[in-house]
Amino acid sequence: MRYEEWNKISRIASRKSLWMLHFCTGCGAVELPPVMTSRYDMERFGMGPMATPRQADVLLITGYLTVKTLKRVVNVYEQMQSPKYVISFGSCPINGGMYWDSYNTVKRLDRYLPVDVYVGGCMPRPEGVMNAFLELMKLIDEGKARGWEKYQKYYEQYKRNQKMAFGFERGKNEGD
Amino acid sequence: MKEYELFIGPQHPGVTGNMMYHLWVDGDTVTKAECNVGYLHRGFEKLMESRNWMQNVPLVCRICVPEPDVNEMAYAMAVEQLMDWEIPERAKYIRVVILELARIAAYLMSIGSYAGSLGIYTLPQWALGDRDYFLDIFEQLTGARVYHIYIWPGGVRWDMPEKLPGLIEKTLSYTEKRLKLYDDVLFKNRIFFDRAVGIGKIPKGKAIEWGVTGPNLRACGYGYDIRKLEPYAVYDDMDFEVIKYPELGDFDVLSDGCDAYTRMIVRRLEIEQSISIVRQALEKMPEGEHIIKHPNWLKWKVPPGYAFKRVESSKGEYGYFVVSDGSNKPVRIHVRGPSYTHGVNVAETILKGANMADVSQILFSLDVCPPDIER
Amino acid sequence: MKAIEIIGKGEEMHGRAYIPSGREEAGTIIKKLKENGFAHFVMLSCVDWIDKNEFELVYHMWSYEHKEHAMISVRLPRDNPSMFSMHELFPQIETYEREIHEMYGIDFEGNSRLTPFLLEGWHDTPPMRKDFDSKKFAEDVFDSIPEIKEEEDEGI
Repeated sequence: MRYEEWNKISRIASRKSLWMLHFCTGCGAVELPPVMTSRYDMERFGMGPMATPRQADVLLITGYLTVKTLKRVVNVYEQMQSPKYVISFGSCPINGGMYWDSYNTVKRLDRYLPVDVYVGGCMPRPEGVMNAFLELMKLIDEGKARGWEKYQKYYEQYKRNQKMAFGFERGKNEGD
Repeated sequence: MKEYELFIGPQHPGVTGNMMYHLWVDGDTVTKAECNVGYLHRGFEKLMESRNWMQNVPLVCRICVPEPDVNEMAYAMAVEQLMDWEIPERAKYIRVVILELARIAAYLMSIGSYAGSLGIYTLPQWALGDRDYFLDIFEQLTGARVYHIYIWPGGVRWDMPEKLPGLIEKTLSYTEKRLKLYDDVLFKNRIFFDRAVGIGKIPKGKAIEWGVTGPNLRACGYGYDIRKLEPYAVYDDMDFEVIKYPELGDFDVLSDGCDAYTRMIVRRLEIEQSISIVRQALEKMPEGEHIIKHPNWLKWKVPPGYAFKRVESSKGEYGYFVVSDGSNKPVRIHVRGPSYTHGVNVAETILKGANMADVSQILFSLDVCPPDIER
Repeated sequence: MKAIEIIGKGEEMHGRAYIPSGREEAGTIIKKLKENGFAHFVMLSCVDWIDKNEFELVYHMWSYEHKEHAMISVRLPRDNPSMFSMHELFPQIETYEREIHEMYGIDFEGNSRLTPFLLEGWHDTPPMRKDFDSKKFAEDVFDSIPEIKEEEDEGI
């Protein structure tokens, strides 16, 4: 019982100071500066950019992910400390978007990393981004943003999928 | 002292986007730099070969994120040349307006992030906030904030709304007022003089051979601008002077050019130049059609041939090489991005001998934009 | 057209000089143009003409003096293509050659830096070749990756 209560307090505290990792993985990153700076100013929600993954709470996947970036993103995500949340931007991480037949972008992000909130659109507008942040806070408050627990629980499945995308399996079959 | 290796990027606020530099550092002096890109490679050139000529229009603008219109312009001009189309006069003026507005927006972003790399955090807040007013104009004109898909082969997608010139004029005069404040904070600031003068020098005699273009070349003292050399749209009708190194207006000439200081001053002056071009274009804009009639997009075949078109962007020279074999899909579209030379060869060479603390400002002053390196 | 006068061959194509060249003489032509004012190397393109079984390398050069653009075209056979590296004339050619080596599999003799540029761990056909099917590759590789199977209970 006491554990539950403590959990609730910690959730209230953590939703009021979410620090997002400053990692521009794709073209959606161009809409982040307006959100961070004077016009939309996300700091009024207690959110700020953070340079190191170890102190960040939110990982933003801003747009399409290439295979080469996915390796770095997985690396960064695993460095972040729990609880950690993932927001995916734009149509590309949902189903590939306009790069559906590209040889170098991964099509569905949720097969490699657990996603808590999706923002649709290409580009998502800053208002959409702000809305996603508020949505994430609401989910944290209700205890529903539990992607990181999912990642721990199904770690082996995620790792298998990541390896398949990185081409280790493919390389083996061809005898490289 | 022992040499050690340092990786900056892709997750680092000091590099210009999703790219990586591999540095070998002795003390705090860089002895060797290697650029590592490919984090944004989507295979555009391959995708374009399997889409028809009209489906490629939404793809090309995604090659440069801060300033997408130059890509649409170069692609449209290349297709128009192959089709032998003459586009309506009004469309040419509207194109100049949107290209110059996009140029101002890109410069504001570049100046903001450069100031951030020096640790002057006021200017990013101001410049990016002011850039948003330009995005509002784009929204009214084209319907989108970032990717406009507005310049089509044959003209522009929609006519300019009647009341838009009023809003543009309001935004421009607001920007002019704000630029005075920017001068106090960055361009006439002691910190900027002490940090940027003489940093990141491109050898003047080598600049052209290395493929340096755009504001970076003009900061070396060569007054070359594609808007003057090969005027496209109606730039030959506009009255403007190319800004180059010793003529820096009311800014002091503190070095012998080619350095981060001069490059940023040239960018600052070109904002005013673009404002004047937008005003001229709005004034001279004739009435008439804004687009010519397209053939059926699904059956649209482009005559065989080679076309090469270049435009001046805020980062340098953009070139589109389009090859058609007479079918409804291109055989090859190759894009020359300005950062291809700036970000890889030039940066690798001039980072040698730089101080570790200056690496970030050198990259921002070159205005390296990774999406056009890897496409 | 100045470029055609300097080289003594080629044709005009929409205001730009198009100069076909053999594999061996391309180096001399580019050097000669560089000495005669064509100081800006714009880019190096490659076109895959699969019907003719050839690759076409196009060297784009621009002269600020004559305000003229020259395209030097070199055709190579599609099997075991190789070309001389020209990175000594213009340093940025090194990067273009790296990319073309990776994307088309053309070998450049004399370029010591033909390391992977954009892709990492690529095992397939070079992707920009016409016989590489991007759509099929995407279907094979990315669509075959299974979804994460979740257990029903707890509601995680």
